[in-house]
Amino acid sequence: MCCSSWKYTALAFLVVAVVATGCSKKQTVKSDAGAGAAAPAAGETAAQQAPAAQAPAQPVMTAKQAEAARGVAVTEEKASMFADVRFDFDRSDLRDDAKKTCQEVAAYMKKNPGKKLLVEGHCDDRGTAEYNMALGDRRATSVKNYLVSLGVPTSALSTVSFGKERPLDPGHNEEAWAKNRRAHFVLQ
Amino acid sequence: MAFLAFALFPAAAGAVLYIDINAPGGKRLPLAVGDFVVVSGSPALTRGIPKMLEADLELTQLFDLVPQEAQLEKVVSAHFAGKNLDFPAWKTVGAEAVVIGKVEGRGDQLAIEMRVYDATQGTLIIGKRYSGTPAQVPQIVHRFANEIVYVFTGVRGVFGTEIAFSARDGRGKEIYVVGMDGKGLRKVTGNRSFNLFPRWSPDGRWLAFTSFRTGVPVIYLHNPETGVEKEVVRAGDTKAPGGFSPDGDWLYYSASAGGNSDIHRVRVVGGAREKVAGGWGLEVSPTVSPDGRRIAFASDRAGAPQIYVKDLGSGEERRISQPGVYATSPCWSPAGDRIAFTARAGGRFAIYTVGPDGNDLRPVASLSDADCEDPSFSPDGRQLVYSLRKKGYSALKITSLDGRRERTLVSGLGDVGSPAWSPAR
Repeated sequence: MCCSSWKYTALAFLVVAVVATGCSKKQTVKSDAGAGAAAPAAGETAAQQAPAAQAPAQPVMTAKQAEAARGVAVTEEKASMFADVRFDFDRSDLRDDAKKTCQEVAAYMKKNPGKKLLVEGHCDDRGTAEYNMALGDRRATSVKNYLVSLGVPTSALSTVSFGKERPLDPGHNEEAWAKNRRAHFVLQ
Repeated sequence: MAFLAFALFPAAAGAVLYIDINAPGGKRLPLAVGDFVVVSGSPALTRGIPKMLEADLELTQLFDLVPQEAQLEKVVSAHFAGKNLDFPAWKTVGAEAVVIGKVEGRGDQLAIEMRVYDATQGTLIIGKRYSGTPAQVPQIVHRFANEIVYVFTGVRGVFGTEIAFSARDGRGKEIYVVGMDGKGLRKVTGNRSFNLFPRWSPDGRWLAFTSFRTGVPVIYLHNPETGVEKEVVRAGDTKAPGGFSPDGDWLYYSASAGGNSDIHRVRVVGGAREKVAGGWGLEVSPTVSPDGRRIAFASDRAGAPQIYVKDLGSGEERRISQPGVYATSPCWSPAGDRIAFTARAGGRFAIYTVGPDGNDLRPVASLSDADCEDPSFSPDGRQLVYSLRKKGYSALKITSLDGRRERTLVSGLGDVGSPAWSPAR
């Protein structure tokens, strides 16, 4: 025990030494650039003023901001013109009522060839999150495969699973669970 | 983590184990923590140290603590310079072991000396001296509490370790970390998306988790201390990290393509990937044996999900959970002798452990009106953290393997799940 503590101590000193060396080097570089340091500041001010003077009416979203917005958007339920497809517990095969819904979706997609459709797979909140994430994926894929068999081009379809992370009904009874085991259609 | 520790007196080699942690209903050891002595610096320096130490020892449920008010002898600095403790006085108040401590302040540095005596024999069991800053006092106390547990049980304590988990925050889910004592709860992510399935690297410095923060699920490695984040797996649809190889070089994870989830592994540095286990079923939740030679995972290839063990050398796979039972989320014990998992029984989810060969199934936690799920072993293998859900209520619980000693770690957050216990600190 004593030995291993010493080892850590030695390591800590070593790390401190390395960091210290690194710092002093950096500082040297900084002091060299001391005179120029004001320039970026001035540039910043200019950049800040520029948008006020000539910015377009709509704010420009950087790629990072757009990603972050998409990250938040996945937590939101989007309204759909189609009914959800429902599943039995721990199942991903399509019931007759599910097939009927899919046939309506397929008919719409074939009439509107330019449209893209996202199929979301969801689960009820019973069972492990990882397993449900995979199950939701299989549910979405099961729906996608059926739509393809009905003549919808694969290129018009994509899938995503939210497992049990986004229940439609927050209840904890069979009625709520039945609503939450679903595929949800989002036209894009 | 850079405080100094010196062993003043080595713990007697092959010492008598005072507490048999495996004994059913094991007896608790009566122990007294005396008030600490300040030899230089502000008397406020000791503030809280005995209480912090007692709080740690209390958590083990292995000790009966003799309160300070009941103690007869006042600890003085001479006790650290040759003067004997009045052991009969300590025995009178019921203590079989006595912890004393001394604090010296030198500028912004503290030196803390702590000793444990056997009051019955009148002998010193262990003595340690630590030095560090006041901010490092909690770490030092945890470290010494781990030493105390070690000398009395033969197994090092797990104070100072942490548990990562996911919980609802608004509509999204964020990753949180909390101390094993329930203190220091903090949010590690804050992107208002879905952040799920945290897993610790073997050195305890990185958390692997799945995040939808760019709109699609990606597995990241995140350093909670520095905030540094790296993308490790983008390929595939659904994906979830499972566990690391013991050397930390590989991350085992599940990922699906075409609606079929399989087990893969990725080199943490370099990103080379390979498929490890699969088939037409859904394979998820890989956990690696401590020798790195086998994995356990859940698969629904035979109908309902069940637990399988795969030998990575021979490729042989065998089912270790009972057929027909819904079983998921395996976690391999640090000693390699048990696998904890979740199984559905009587419409409820409960926690069990089983040998890696599928024999010797033992129940750990179950309730008739709540679900117990997602077990994760403590680094000493003596406890499990798991999530409990009862209608809208959810909590993290810590339990001994026999289910007898249990406490609530986290409550008051929504949808807490996927707890993962950090390695030893």
